[in-house]
Amino acid sequence: MPKADIELKIPSAVFYIEPVRAFVGNLARSLGFPRKRVADIQLVLDEVCSNAVHHGSDNATASVKLRIGVDDHALEILVRDTGTGNDPQKNWLTRERLLEIEANRSPSGERGHGIFIAKSLSDTHEMQSNDTGGTDVRVVFYFLKPNKVKV
Amino acid sequence: MDSTKLMRLREWSGIQIIEIKTDLSSYAASDLRKILEGLLVEKVDRVVVNLSEVNHINSTAVGALVGVAKRLRQNGGDLKICALADNLTRTFNLIGASSVLEIYESENSALAAF
Repeated sequence: MPKADIELKIPSAVFYIEPVRAFVGNLARSLGFPRKRVADIQLVLDEVCSNAVHHGSDNATASVKLRIGVDDHALEILVRDTGTGNDPQKNWLTRERLLEIEANRSPSGERGHGIFIAKSLSDTHEMQSNDTGGTDVRVVFYFLKPNKVKV
Repeated sequence: MDSTKLMRLREWSGIQIIEIKTDLSSYAASDLRKILEGLLVEKVDRVVVNLSEVNHINSTAVGALVGVAKRLRQNGGDLKICALADNLTRTFNLIGASSVLEIYESENSALAAF
């Protein structure tokens, strides 16, 4: 199977997350991921993109970029936001505050679950600051065995 | 987006029932939160949310359900969930919301629990 490197750029608005979720779900299904794993991948994508829109962008004129990579071993998704400057209402979700957010997460809380879901359901989860002042989140989902899907 | 196409509201014996007709990703989750908070303003105290037609729910939507349930309980009411698909149950369990919300297999059993 040829490697794929797909790039998407959406406005920083929740409206555009749903079509991306559908696209990634179809891609994961086509790659042979089991039904439950497709649901996991779609949920992780939804959570990571929601965080990028709500906490990683000033408004809808900003963009959220996605880079989706496929090789014989894994589906990899990188979500890049541009940051919110110094807006304390929006920029609470940063790599530096990750441990604090995780420590404060409670089942009876309304916030802070997205990052926990992304870490729990992906095989690899990485979060780091990027050179635009925003955050890159990279999640990887490995195939159970090397993928031989013919394209 | 017109929320009424995504969610149907009806009442049974003083209990407000919300049937969700769409997957609850980020966009629809904000509509759900508005509807639930509208019910709080209207002083509705007993709510059943029927998720039988939902195949996806994210943490924003679960958080909205948990938050409204807590506020209803402060006034002697409650919000109960029913008819979860397997992958929704997994999400509720993962977050821990299953231990906070009352979840029932069917709408009738949720209504009967009030």
